[in-house]
Amino acid sequence: MTEIEDEAIRLIQSTPEGILQSELWKLLNIDSRKCSRVVKKLIDTDMVDRLEYKSDGIKTYLLKAKKRAIDPGLLMASGELLPCICCEEECSIQDCPYLMDWMYQLAIDEFSEENSEN
Amino acid sequence: MQMVAPEEVLKNEAVRAYLFRMIGEEGMSLLEKFPPEGEFSDEDLAESTSINLNAVRHTLYTLYGKRLAEYRRIKNSETGWLTYLWVLRLDNIDNCLTEDTEAVLEILQAREEYESMNDFYICPQCGLRYTFDEALNRDFICQNCDQKMDHFDNDLLSEALRRRVDRIKENLGKFD
Repeated sequence: MTEIEDEAIRLIQSTPEGILQSELWKLLNIDSRKCSRVVKKLIDTDMVDRLEYKSDGIKTYLLKAKKRAIDPGLLMASGELLPCICCEEECSIQDCPYLMDWMYQLAIDEFSEENSEN
Repeated sequence: MQMVAPEEVLKNEAVRAYLFRMIGEEGMSLLEKFPPEGEFSDEDLAESTSINLNAVRHTLYTLYGKRLAEYRRIKNSETGWLTYLWVLRLDNIDNCLTEDTEAVLEILQAREEYESMNDFYICPQCGLRYTFDEALNRDFICQNCDQKMDHFDNDLLSEALRRRVDRIKENLGKFD
């Protein structure tokens, strides 16, 4: 991903209601043709949805970031689900023993993955 | 309406663990035994699955709260009784997981920052962990056991958490 595409996707993701393409190129400080190419790339890589939109009678597009589905495997460590998910305990971020146990599992996973790669 | 067969969703170990956390053993059993097609009242489900009616109701309302089940309400014109007919909407599982992950990402990031910003000491007897400042204030003697503390190397823990947080953020398309 180029720097400008990266900046574009950040801008689009930071506005949940979406950004008009006719505004995006001004924010990115590029011309509208270049902006079209950037947007096309983001649509092709499935990061953004483009919806037709009329602004003061002029046709443009509303760009919205696609909500990505999390890979549920990222919530697991050694077969244990991240304890924070659906947790009903009072949260003590710095010394939660359940989170600490999970972090140990995670470190074991990461360490053994690394060893098996080497 | 896009229907997804529960057995497809339940194949994934992480998704199973997630649903188990949400609805427990009886809830999982209801998902596994939920008839593949049609809509059902809680009583029908309790009868056809042999799961206790209260557990069926509890599971359905929990799933409803996560938009993983929905109901249609019908009124008997003679008696005025309302019946709720339920269907599963496990096709919403991705949204559900993503929302819950976004909600806990902040916690993980805060913990990661705490781990990386601090140097720790630990009591070899009771395992209580202290930050450097806390340890210094107690002259490196554990408040519970009067034992001398050891240095606690958290590099692996901290690094593992950092990597996982980065992967989750990348997966969700979030950037700093």
